[in-house]
Amino acid sequence: MKARRVKKLDPQRSLAENAARIVGVRLGELRSLAPQALEPEERSAQHDMRIAAKRLRYILEATELCFGDEAPRARRRARDLQDILGELHDCDVMLPRVAEHIETLRAADVDAVCEQAGSAPDLDPRVAVAAPNRALYRGLEVLGIYFEARRDVLHRRFREFWAEQERKGTWDRLERGAKTTLREARARRRALAAEVE
Amino acid sequence: MAKAREIDGLDPQASYAEAAARIVSVRAAELAEHAENVLDTSDIEGVHDMRVASRRLRAALEIFEPCFPQTDFRATLAAVKELADSLGGRRERDLTLAALEGFAERARAPDRPGIASLVKRTRDEQAKANEDLAPCVEPERLEALGRRIDLLVQAARA
Repeated sequence: MKARRVKKLDPQRSLAENAARIVGVRLGELRSLAPQALEPEERSAQHDMRIAAKRLRYILEATELCFGDEAPRARRRARDLQDILGELHDCDVMLPRVAEHIETLRAADVDAVCEQAGSAPDLDPRVAVAAPNRALYRGLEVLGIYFEARRDVLHRRFREFWAEQERKGTWDRLERGAKTTLREARARRRALAAEVE
Repeated sequence: MAKAREIDGLDPQASYAEAAARIVSVRAAELAEHAENVLDTSDIEGVHDMRVASRRLRAALEIFEPCFPQTDFRATLAAVKELADSLGGRRERDLTLAALEGFAERARAPDRPGIASLVKRTRDEQAKANEDLAPCVEPERLEALGRRIDLLVQAARA
């Protein structure tokens, strides 16, 4: 997911002013993804939200000294969110991996059974029941069930975590902190410019 | 996960460009510090720590992009991304193996052979990912990346 562009960044202005602008955009990005990501099957939105949480976490990690006490707290919650969504993503990676492996084994078994059949006019079931990978499927099916069920459990945890942070005002406080920092930094810059004039 | 190092002397009222120079140089040093033993598949924490360091460096470059000359910035960011992707490829297999082996330990005996077959396949992929990673973490290549980043830092301070 491409990061939203942050306008009005200026290398000569203060770190605080620029950091406040970036945090505002990154937080908005994260929150805008929530409604879709909270739907269980919206894998792509969940993946994007994980990236957005990571970006917010990293900007706070680098610049939280520019904001109030709410910034380290929000940074830790962004990390927690990134972790939950990361585990969810791991399930999304594992499920097709397991399915693809089963498909590979099945294809190899079909080839092996066909070869055993030789030139017979029909296939004897005794050849198929001796397929070389027959003992491997059950463990892989159980593994697939595990990752599918784990995904459901993790998504429920994600919904609860997000609701809890909204209820506690984690993101609202960070947003207010960033706005305050931006306002103060602008005022300081203008006062300095007026002094020079 | 390795904690990010504190940045000494960072001042909210200092310029964004000065902060860029300080933060990017510390993150680059962290990356270099974690480069040892990353190809050792018996210790998966090495590659994890270097991957986290590469992601922090990438994030710092992106956060401070306006402070750097664009052409040099883009080439450096591409090199860091390439390194991060190679580390990510190895890390993904390390994590997959850990998850599969953890599950296999708790699985019933008749279910284990199937899981073991996927472990074997993933081990082969891990070896391939390690081969792909090897050229990216060669000392000469990392030193060249370090020099590129030094030039960006100097340009931010200019």
